[in-house]
Amino acid sequence: MNILVLVVNRLLWFVPTVLGLLAIVFVISHIVPADPVAFMAGENANPETIARLRAELGFDQPLHIQFIRYIGSVLHGDLGTSIYTGRPIAEDLLDRLPATLELTLITVLVATAVGIPVGVVAALHRNSVADHLLRVVTIAGLAIASFWLAILLQLQFSMNFGWTPLHGRIDGWGPEPITGFFLIDALLLGDMEIFLDALHHLILPVVTLAIPAAATIVRFTRAGVLNAVQSDYVLYETAMGFPRRQIVWKYILRNALIGTVTQIGLVFGVLIAGAVVVEAVFDWPGLGTFAVNSILNSDYNAVMGFTLVIGTAFIVINLLIDIAHGMIDPRESR
Amino acid sequence: MDDSSTMDLRRRALLGGTVAAAGLLSGTGQLAAQPRSQIVFANGSAFDTMDPHQTFDVGRVAYRLNIYDSLMRWLDNPPKIAPWLAESYEISDGGKRYTFKLRQGVKFHDGAELTSADVVYSMERILALKQGAYGLLSPMVEPGSTQAPDKHTVVFNLKEPSAIFIAATHDIYVVNSALVKKNERNGDWGAAWLARNDAGSGSYTLRRFDPARGFLARRFPDHFLGWPGPALEEIDFRYVAEVNSRVLGLIRGDFQGTDPYMPQDQIKRLQGDANMNVMEAESTRLFYAAIHNRRAPMSDINFRKAINYAFDYDGWINDILGGSVVRNPSPIPNPMWGCPKDVTGYTYDLDKAKHHLSLVKEPLREITIAGMIGYEQSMQAAALLQNGLNKIGVQTKLLNEPFPVTSAKQRDEAQMYDILFLWRSTYYADPHNWPGEMYDGRRFARGNFSFYRNEKVDALLSQALAATDQAVRAPLYEEASRIIVEEAAGLFVHNTKWYGPFRKNVKGVRFCPIGDGQEMRWLSLA
Repeated sequence: MNILVLVVNRLLWFVPTVLGLLAIVFVISHIVPADPVAFMAGENANPETIARLRAELGFDQPLHIQFIRYIGSVLHGDLGTSIYTGRPIAEDLLDRLPATLELTLITVLVATAVGIPVGVVAALHRNSVADHLLRVVTIAGLAIASFWLAILLQLQFSMNFGWTPLHGRIDGWGPEPITGFFLIDALLLGDMEIFLDALHHLILPVVTLAIPAAATIVRFTRAGVLNAVQSDYVLYETAMGFPRRQIVWKYILRNALIGTVTQIGLVFGVLIAGAVVVEAVFDWPGLGTFAVNSILNSDYNAVMGFTLVIGTAFIVINLLIDIAHGMIDPRESR
Repeated sequence: MDDSSTMDLRRRALLGGTVAAAGLLSGTGQLAAQPRSQIVFANGSAFDTMDPHQTFDVGRVAYRLNIYDSLMRWLDNPPKIAPWLAESYEISDGGKRYTFKLRQGVKFHDGAELTSADVVYSMERILALKQGAYGLLSPMVEPGSTQAPDKHTVVFNLKEPSAIFIAATHDIYVVNSALVKKNERNGDWGAAWLARNDAGSGSYTLRRFDPARGFLARRFPDHFLGWPGPALEEIDFRYVAEVNSRVLGLIRGDFQGTDPYMPQDQIKRLQGDANMNVMEAESTRLFYAAIHNRRAPMSDINFRKAINYAFDYDGWINDILGGSVVRNPSPIPNPMWGCPKDVTGYTYDLDKAKHHLSLVKEPLREITIAGMIGYEQSMQAAALLQNGLNKIGVQTKLLNEPFPVTSAKQRDEAQMYDILFLWRSTYYADPHNWPGEMYDGRRFARGNFSFYRNEKVDALLSQALAATDQAVRAPLYEEASRIIVEEAAGLFVHNTKWYGPFRKNVKGVRFCPIGDGQEMRWLSLA
């Protein structure tokens, strides 16, 4: 199978996957005995007003009709309007998506840059003191609660040392958004002050998210490398007198990375879930707080919009992972 | 040098030694970027819209109060209604016609003159959008009934006499009708545009808005009240979801003020900080339990009295809440006129509770006591009452559900919980806001979630609503409240205290329960 066929295949599966996801979330959000219309109308509203509002919003229709209408609107590019804020959902999501993507993508980069070399080192020095120490550290990194770690980092580095900002993406209001990614916007504006300030604000949230992510990558890389080290081709290359560095970084790592790359795709999903908590603690204006508020307010359209965006992002990331697999291991593309 | 500057220098010095090597020292510290007369206020609720007619809650009141003006405005505590855009008003036609004379020369932020046509448009817009203050105003005002006989006169023709109309005019925020009309799309009353833009005449002009972050507004030099004293040049309201982040930011000097919705331990933490001024005032937010009066055995007055005697009021106020609230034995908050001062209410007395329980004629069963998830006090109070009721032999079940769920169930007599702990906020500063909404037998499921009906109470409330003289109305509300307490229609627990945490250099805060002390035109920085 070549890469083009793989992409087409994944794209064909994209529609039913997203439809299934939306159907599940739609049913779950609508069977909860909450009434967002009553909530929206306020305590003083009478039942007639609530009934009229419900009809205007189409919530008096059978569930399947509501779902079909929703899908129809989505196909026309309309994600609906928030019941709570009255604003278009697409605008709300676009306002917040860059903040979350900037945070999670940089976290993945950091976690990968740290996790892969450390995993290789741990495997090559199997059962050494360093390996044992790394095992303890990675297990602790996986077990640690992100909200607790976030508060701890804030207290130590922001409050006690005063080294890092406590919260937010930037001091003050920052530039008028171009892409919404502050690092990119700062570069487009040629403003290094803003760039460094945004980078400075990323330190604590990224560290909070990257620790468990890097721990996962270390564990998978270590296991992959150990597996590869014991294979016949490594024995052959060693016997042939290939330099050790070449064997490790060219042959072993390439084979060992297949599992790690898959894991990085899954880590991305975990990071988005983790960002809900981390965004709240660090006052990070991303999708996490939006999702929490939407769920608490039973804002159906907002919950569906969030699901659609995150589901799509997850599918795209996994498609990229599949493509990466094909590039790392040519057998996958045949 | 003040403490915040020291913090900033310390932060930079330390950064210089550590992070600068990595090229991360930006030199754009929060305080350096912040003008001296700017306040950064951390708010626990998100400002997801800038449309003054889309919201009604206290959590998002700041943009309504600071960017928009209304005919009358509530000020101070106890709240007093003061002429604002209106110079004066007259009531005629037996209390059905309210005629307001507007101030002349009031300007919107774009320089256009504010006239009666803008007030009429704003009223019609509220009624058309059916959000925000719609629930408060729609029972009184019909669409199309508001008139503008001349440029500076507005006439409201009410459906029936209503003494609370003046109190409700605070929530008719006036928008620039020409500007909003210009931005209407598909008959949306400019909703999409106004959600992100400014069409007000208020003390501050919107500069930046980001629904994920908050809003930034600059002082409007041409505001009709003028600026006689020192004032803030900019106000920056930032959404900070986590209480801990709000408190740490305040202590560090990143914020100069925050909202009062935080646990008592955080208030104490702030009170112990030398740079903080935690203001304190008794508010008008009643914490109570709605008891389902039409479902057995709560339909029996003796069972309701047993419930009232089984709640440990002192333990709640002094031990659990650390004395941060005030006992409020009747349905009207203590500072509000119309509150009967002679009512002492129920005490925690298990012997009396058992006595009343023995008089109950209805068969006993397991009682559901509900709290609201996310509202710690509501859940804690439900657990405390459960403890008291268990001691007198009443079987109970705790049920905590999120607000949208409780909000839906309390509007349905069949689904309403047996007992639900909740708050009644100040939607308008008039005693009618409490017994008039909560215990009027004609308001089942729209304020009256106890499904309580007493014809004498209904008559007293009607009389009070039809009269316009406070001296006549006050004794009527007092009498209605006495009956409600005597019949144990609800379990009235406490009145909330407002704790306004501000940095010490913030001066001039004027707390009003309706605006939660967030009207910024009175503030300045020392």
